[in-house]
Amino acid sequence: MTEAKATDGKRLARAAVTLGGLAAGYFLVVGLHSADILINDYYLQILIWVGINVIMGVSLNLINGFTGQFSLGHAGFMAIGAYVAASMTKLMGMPFALALLSGGIAAALGGLVVGIPTLRLAGDYLAIATLGFGEIIRVIILNLDVVGGPRGLPGIPARTTFLWVYVMAAATVVVVRNLIWSRQGRALVAIREDETAAETMGVDTTRNKIMAFVVGAFFAGVAGGLYAHKITFIDPSQFDFMKSIEALVIIVLGGLGSITGTVLAAFVVTFLPEILRAFADYRMIIYSLMLILMMLYRPRGLMGTAEFNFRQLGLANERPAPDTGGQATATGDGPPPVLETSRVSMDFGGLRAVSDFSMTLRQGELVGLIGPNGAGKTTVFNMITGLAEATSGRIHFMGEDITRRKPSEINDMGIARTFQNIRLFSNLSVLDNVRIAFRGERPYSMTEAVLRAGRYSDQEDQICRKSMEFLRLFGLEDRASEIAGKLPYGAQRRLEMARALATKPKLLLLDEPAAGMNPQETQELLELIRWIHERFDLTVLLIEHDMNLVMKLCQRIVVLDYGIVIADGSPAEIVKNRRVIEAYLGEEAV
Amino acid sequence: MSGGLDVSMVIQQLVNGLALGSVYALIALGYTMVYGIIRLINFAHGDIFMLGAYYGYFAITMFNIPFALALPLTMILAAMTGMAVERLAYKPLRQAPRIASLITAIGVSLLLQNLGLKFFEARPRPYPRIMNTVVWDLGGVVVSNVQLIMLALAVGLMVLISLIVYRTKIGKAMRAVSFDKDAARLMGIDADMVISVTFALGSALAAAGGMLVGFYYNRISPTMGTMYGLKAFVAAVVGGIGIVPGAMLGGLIMGVAEVFVIAFVSSMMKDAIAFAILIVILLFKPAGLLGRAVREKV
Amino acid sequence: MLLDIQDLHVHYGAIHALRGISFNVDGGEIVTLIGANGAGKSTVLRTISGLIRPTDGSMSYWIPPATGKADAAGRQVNLCSLPAHKLVDLGISQVPEGRRIFPNLTVMDNLELGAYLRHDKAEIKRDFEMVFELFPRLRERRSQAAGTLSGGEQQMLAMGRGLMSRPDLLLLDEPSMGLAPLLVKEIFQVIVRINRSGTAILLVEQNASMALAVANRAYVLETGSIALQGSAAELAKDSRVQAAYLGSA
Repeated sequence: MTEAKATDGKRLARAAVTLGGLAAGYFLVVGLHSADILINDYYLQILIWVGINVIMGVSLNLINGFTGQFSLGHAGFMAIGAYVAASMTKLMGMPFALALLSGGIAAALGGLVVGIPTLRLAGDYLAIATLGFGEIIRVIILNLDVVGGPRGLPGIPARTTFLWVYVMAAATVVVVRNLIWSRQGRALVAIREDETAAETMGVDTTRNKIMAFVVGAFFAGVAGGLYAHKITFIDPSQFDFMKSIEALVIIVLGGLGSITGTVLAAFVVTFLPEILRAFADYRMIIYSLMLILMMLYRPRGLMGTAEFNFRQLGLANERPAPDTGGQATATGDGPPPVLETSRVSMDFGGLRAVSDFSMTLRQGELVGLIGPNGAGKTTVFNMITGLAEATSGRIHFMGEDITRRKPSEINDMGIARTFQNIRLFSNLSVLDNVRIAFRGERPYSMTEAVLRAGRYSDQEDQICRKSMEFLRLFGLEDRASEIAGKLPYGAQRRLEMARALATKPKLLLLDEPAAGMNPQETQELLELIRWIHERFDLTVLLIEHDMNLVMKLCQRIVVLDYGIVIADGSPAEIVKNRRVIEAYLGEEAV
Repeated sequence: MSGGLDVSMVIQQLVNGLALGSVYALIALGYTMVYGIIRLINFAHGDIFMLGAYYGYFAITMFNIPFALALPLTMILAAMTGMAVERLAYKPLRQAPRIASLITAIGVSLLLQNLGLKFFEARPRPYPRIMNTVVWDLGGVVVSNVQLIMLALAVGLMVLISLIVYRTKIGKAMRAVSFDKDAARLMGIDADMVISVTFALGSALAAAGGMLVGFYYNRISPTMGTMYGLKAFVAAVVGGIGIVPGAMLGGLIMGVAEVFVIAFVSSMMKDAIAFAILIVILLFKPAGLLGRAVREKV
Repeated sequence: MLLDIQDLHVHYGAIHALRGISFNVDGGEIVTLIGANGAGKSTVLRTISGLIRPTDGSMSYWIPPATGKADAAGRQVNLCSLPAHKLVDLGISQVPEGRRIFPNLTVMDNLELGAYLRHDKAEIKRDFEMVFELFPRLRERRSQAAGTLSGGEQQMLAMGRGLMSRPDLLLLDEPSMGLAPLLVKEIFQVIVRINRSGTAILLVEQNASMALAVANRAYVLETGSIALQGSAAELAKDSRVQAAYLGSA
């Protein structure tokens, strides 16, 4: 009780510090300005541009830095916001606040329209496609006579004041920050780190990417509205490719994935050209040289991914210590089939990787899947987990057809996996790796995350506590705050299993868990698998080359060769099987 | 014209489109080769193209060098410029996040453009006439000697670059480095040298493109690199970035599409068509027309 | 002595990956480095081949007199400051961990790249035959894209590619990794054949029992230092090695 109160107290304190700090910042600037100390009219004007750039930068960082979706079309969303807001005030005489909001919503819709088709692309291709959309938005406006076409839209009322910009920039920062430190935010970062792994951890990547795109576009639209009512004359050429680049420069200079870095960089990028005005003709030459030099000497930006945060103020939330809670175990009566694949096949461009693969896994079984390299074992896993779509055949899990389901849905239904080459979110902490996998019964909504209200706090505490329990079970609790990619090999394998189990699966697929382990480590692994199999009441399917491990661990072994099941039986039967010896084990077997 | 389809008009536009497209293809080759080898979208490439146009301009006007000599000279100068940019600005960032190299490339692009604005003056210049234009009318389709020379030169250079990439040892080394730099080094391939050569070749082609544009459109300016560069880059992606024949195909498609839009739709839409094609192609062939979608190995 | 490593230190940022290891390889030998994951085995090979720079220590290589490089024969070379691409010319060839073949090039192209620095066309042709004899399956697939090969065939290609430079010293990094038991045996048989034809081999391996079975001498690497060394036969009998690496505890 008292602990909860203390936590609540800190929460209030932090909210107070945030609001108080923001208010103090505003009054400091306004005070200095009215007293004409440091900030004269000219600087106040530049601060308005800084604020607009902060919004552009932070909103793009949500897409680029946190979600890892390389967007080069941010100016397009800004243009939508600018034109919609300007039309509303100038042509329809609507109030400014409504215009800004509408600009943001229109841009968000634009984000949705752009996002749905393009987000199937990845990396540079996505960048190029968003660049293309940005340019197309511009050309469409160029051909819209209502808003002046190439002549532009003059005479927009000058409504943008420092207060407006300050409030909007602060709101952007707070919303994006709160979003990042929530389960939605963790899903975004997971997508950035490893999209495939995130999918198999139950993260609906498409939905989350679109969400990031829409939120980012919304704020870019708001920035556009502020911009239009500041500059009072807009034309399509102001929102060209270079404008998108400007926002990109801000986030790269500040550090991808650092909000405070972005804010800092917005100051640098806005003030720099102003300072360079003294050099007249050489201004842009010096500006571009400085840009090159900054990248050469600080390629990770000013802040890297670091943030200036509450921990430095001593107001960090001490998460409650985990207690060793019992995991609820469901007891089934008899061993019903958990997984059934019937005549599943997979073709890769004429090559049949898996051919009519049929097998049934019963509840609680521990089955090994072995076979020569290229026999199609991992492809079977990929089809079961939805990463690859079977060319023909059906896969049923707990009686439901999952053949065409998305990986995240399949994980939600209770199938989790590990990967041959370990796919942790290697730049995130050990704790975060497990936290991403956790989902509550009725998870809190995005609004609750952004406002830090409702179920947010309770659930966050719970996720944290449960995650720590898992780490303890796997002997990783001392390493909770370490970076996952820096763990020793064996610990990485354990963490990957912990992460898979945190999604509460009924069926666990392990892909060569002993690869790269020496006999001692393999022995430990064997005991670990046995233990989790029992402890979590799991059904386990295991791909492995280490025959020693497979023989000791598995009750049943399925042998695959050239995509065809050539044997299915107990370990003792398998080692005597003629075909298995020829194809896989060699003469003096095991 | 009877409103509908005029065959000779269509053929005429096709000829004009191929002429423009061959220039896009030349520039696109540089983008594609550099991307293939170091996965960098070299935004400064369009500005190397612009520099090429000016090198040629000064060679002909100030030094009275004949075109046949000015072209190779310009290509060599541009190759050196490209190699210098790579050494000074990109090489130190090999280990840095890719986006840092990208921003650096944008910085170099801005730098070259602004140096151009400062030292070549902002006003567009007319390109020197190197020969009298002769025009043939082939049944309603007008073809000029300038167009023919331009096409012949562009095609010749494309054949040459294909031979280098696919038939020579250095070409094989380029492909090896583009797949796996460390593995290539273990074969005894000097990866840094190969990257330099790639920049040199790409820059030389862009410079040739620059001269041809001056020659054909008779007008050059320090900011010409941006739009040509962007569209040539889009051409490279449409064809399948990193794939040499893809860049050529993409370039020709861009050129023809743009000319058709100007002729039959509206010149205000000409900059949109490149991007519209880009998006349509990417949605249906995410790795470009000639690219093979690489499945991520799990 | 062909290769002599003394007191080698390597750091990755703050991590001290190799803590002063010393070992050597003589002409005609198979020497194996065994040890757990993360012990630093691959780091040793990557350092020798110049992909990583050591922070301290010495690495010297004697160019054997019998090689065609007459002017260099018998010369001692310091490997510490040599870039990766210069090593092949000295007669050292590395088959990297995870094969690292060029997937979009054909099998033949891959092999030709292995002979990148050579100009003796007729001899190169003869060496293709030599590789195809060692790995008959590669001959069948010579014009196939390397990426379409199975894991075992890719390992064969990587080794064949490494041999195309006619090395005096072959560095093999985990050749058995991810391979089915049958293939592992096949690969190790070829390793012995390569060695019999006169190529010294430094073999880094996770599969200690196989490695000790083919090697002359062995070093056991533990967290960046050498814990044990001796003849392979002795180490195979050593109780500590048996417990930790041979799984017969």
